[in-house]
Amino acid sequence: MTNHNDHISKQAFMDELYRYKKGSVTRRHFLNVTGLGAATAVMGAAVPGLLPKPAFAAGDIGDRVILATWPNYHDPANFEAFTEATGAHVQVNVFGSNEEMLAKLQAGGSGWDVYVPTNYTITTYVSEDLIEPLDVSRLPNYDPSAFDPRYAEAGSVDGKLYAVPKNWGTTGYAVNTSHTGGHKMTSWKDFWDMTMDSLSGRTMVHDYQLTTIGNALKYFGYSFNSVDEKELADAEKLLIDSKPHLFAISSDYQPSMRSGDAWMTMCWTGDGKQLNTDIPEIEYVLGVEGGELWSDYYAIPKGAPHMDAAYALINFMLDPNVNAKEVLAHGYPSADAHTNALLPEELLNDPILYPAQDLLNALEFGAAVTLTDPNRAELMARFKSA
Amino acid sequence: MTQRARNWLLLAPAGTWFLVMLLLPLTVVLVFSFGERAPAGGVVPAFTLEQYANLPARWTAFKNTMTLAPIGTLASLLIAYPLAYFLAVKADPKWKTILLVLVIVPFWTSILIRSYAWIFILGGRGLPALLDWVGIEGVRLINTPFAVLVGIIYGYLPLMVFPIFVSLDRLDKRLLEASSDLGAKPWATFLQITLPLSIPGIATGCMLVFILLMGEFLIPALLGGGKVFFVGNALVDLFLQSRNWAYGSAVAVTLVLVMLITVTIYMRLINRLGASREDVSIM
Amino acid sequence: MRLYASCVYIFLYFPIGIIVLFSFNAGRHASQLQGFSTQWYGKALSNPFVMDALQTSLLVAFTSALLASLFGTMAAVALQGIKGPVRTVFDMLIYVAVMIPGIVIGIATLIGLVTVFDQLNPVLASIWPGDGTPPKLNMGLGSLVAAHTMFLMALVIIIVRARLSGMDRALTEASSDLYATPFGTFRQVTLPLIFPAVLAGFLLSFTFSFDDFIIAFFVAGSETTLPIYVFSSIRRGVTPEINAIGTMVLAVSLVMLVAAQILLRRGEKKSK
Repeated sequence: MTNHNDHISKQAFMDELYRYKKGSVTRRHFLNVTGLGAATAVMGAAVPGLLPKPAFAAGDIGDRVILATWPNYHDPANFEAFTEATGAHVQVNVFGSNEEMLAKLQAGGSGWDVYVPTNYTITTYVSEDLIEPLDVSRLPNYDPSAFDPRYAEAGSVDGKLYAVPKNWGTTGYAVNTSHTGGHKMTSWKDFWDMTMDSLSGRTMVHDYQLTTIGNALKYFGYSFNSVDEKELADAEKLLIDSKPHLFAISSDYQPSMRSGDAWMTMCWTGDGKQLNTDIPEIEYVLGVEGGELWSDYYAIPKGAPHMDAAYALINFMLDPNVNAKEVLAHGYPSADAHTNALLPEELLNDPILYPAQDLLNALEFGAAVTLTDPNRAELMARFKSA
Repeated sequence: MTQRARNWLLLAPAGTWFLVMLLLPLTVVLVFSFGERAPAGGVVPAFTLEQYANLPARWTAFKNTMTLAPIGTLASLLIAYPLAYFLAVKADPKWKTILLVLVIVPFWTSILIRSYAWIFILGGRGLPALLDWVGIEGVRLINTPFAVLVGIIYGYLPLMVFPIFVSLDRLDKRLLEASSDLGAKPWATFLQITLPLSIPGIATGCMLVFILLMGEFLIPALLGGGKVFFVGNALVDLFLQSRNWAYGSAVAVTLVLVMLITVTIYMRLINRLGASREDVSIM
Repeated sequence: MRLYASCVYIFLYFPIGIIVLFSFNAGRHASQLQGFSTQWYGKALSNPFVMDALQTSLLVAFTSALLASLFGTMAAVALQGIKGPVRTVFDMLIYVAVMIPGIVIGIATLIGLVTVFDQLNPVLASIWPGDGTPPKLNMGLGSLVAAHTMFLMALVIIIVRARLSGMDRALTEASSDLYATPFGTFRQVTLPLIFPAVLAGFLLSFTFSFDDFIIAFFVAGSETTLPIYVFSSIRRGVTPEINAIGTMVLAVSLVMLVAAQILLRRGEKKSK
């Protein structure tokens, strides 16, 4: 390719301008190709105020920001747009559980700038001094009044804001109905009974304590968050009994469900939505006994190496236009009214994202105590090593 | 500079390195193994044997490791030996190097990616679908001990082939000729000459593979679906999920002790075997 | 025999074939083939984090292999001339270093260093002159290189010592009888003899470090090496991009191997 930054024909210039107007090339590309970038930069330096102001001047926030998050949880195009707007590249580190994130932060030097803790973990992060209080003035896109407080309140501890809501969701199970023999699955009792019956060898459970133990507790009608020794002993017995019938213990269940190796799995809203969209026989079920209702947040860990970029990224992700694209990609419901105003009607009425009120009422938020309870941690480990 | 001073100077960097990066971390692990779990995770210094008393809770992990590691080592040996023998004795010398290199090439793709290929092969749409098609129905391979064993053999085969190849390659081919000239049957030649001479290679290969298997974590995690649990998996879980550093340290110390004892006994045995075979040594 | 060997090669290459095949998959999901495409190669090459991870891996592998070969060779040479307790201690250290599973090295290094850093950082902050932010010791490239070097050093010592022990002592003695300085003897007699072993140690170290996942998983802090990147992407669901990365690493290694072979052949011809 020749050096077309210096010379560009009239025709080529018009073509590029047309493409830019259509939106098929970015502003940066247009300015670079046409050489206008250099020109405006020089003029902009000479005449202050002439340079169009982007949200952030490139270089202001550094060239990178590191995000620790969950699987299948973002629209990659949004990160590209962020890089375009700020010059900072987004590195995405994917984790399998809150326990793992906490362990990594406790061991020090995670190097993350932004992470995505779930509601029940935030008080622990505060008491362990692992989370940075947020300066709202640096998050102009954050409008607390637009959020359903149910999914936003865990972000504040003792009146101080530590985390802003990302999205919320439920934990139910996905089941491939072509293998259930017409049996209508509605409860956690169905889940565990079928695991040990006709779905033997085809069921997956999560690889962390909260939901796997919690949903076993639900079989007996106990609280999802129980730390009662007798109740945990019952759950342990159920888990150990069902272990020979499990296909796998893993939080990465989409590939196995898609390939047909697994027929049923504990499942989060968004994965349920993604699976159901592609394979309609896979249905998402919330147990009538209840289960988990959760809300994920954006937060900044103590000692984040790129603090400015962290604020910039969170603020960017809170932009309703950006957030709406996120929801369309990941299929989890947002608690932000501004975002929901931009979403198609059918998504807002989707029964997977927005379950019926009576099912929703039976759900519980995870309790902070489960995260640090040594008995639950050890029970999970015993179950896995059994 | 005296000889002595020079030696000290030459040893200083390695010595310091071992001190800071080996002895110090191991000491910390040993100290922590007598500690207690802190409320939110981590460790509180203490002196208690509670963690060691709790070890039976990981008995299955130790049992899995102590059965699948020797089985895996043995299986690799059985598969690797004929190949090494073929390469060293039978193969056309022109092709020898190429064939040998071809054994290591798969090693250059990350074990992670290779294991994922096996997930596909052993998964429902791979081999079982093929078996189904020829009439053998309902075979399930992925997430079983068998899958883990296949992954183990696949991952460590080259480590077994190489040392055996080296020891067989050094073997003087005239010995084999002499043996058959004297009327020995091929099997007798193999058992009385080839096999004893390749014992050092077998010993090295087995030790390499066994050591790596004892600390294995990835293959059981990927091909065992979290159901085939090794001590390595228990350790990762204790440090990265339940954050029980004290108990994790105790498990780590136990694993190291088990290994040191097993490997030391093993080396003694091999040495004795080597000593009793001195009669055939030609070197 | 030949048939058996072919079977083993098929066993070794079948999964590699699958990886290469799926790297050209047009579709996104790794379990279905949906036509031919090379787009994933472009995606992998233009992904800055793949490139960053590759760079980190190369840097770590090169630095630790270099340090390990240097210090390991020095130690091996010195140990050759020593007897007594120092030698016994070193023998034990080397034995322990190669015997301990990588996972224990990773965990021990992590909790050992984190504990030490927690003690040192406040001290460092209190004695730091001026009012700039004091440096903070953290897990990262340094701890990763240090952990790899420790383990690889033991490997290099073993390899070089095997070579040294097979070496004719008369050579070095002759050299010093001829009034060569100890360094001169080393440079002109010992080094050329052990060089193949040092080189082998370096290459082996490089390979080990480049492919290591388990130690890096614990001690790399916020750094991402290529195996860590692959691991964390695989959790996002295997895309053909990962297969493309694997295929490219394989192809580059093969090209390097063939090139080395050709260079060696040429060298042989010249020396004949």
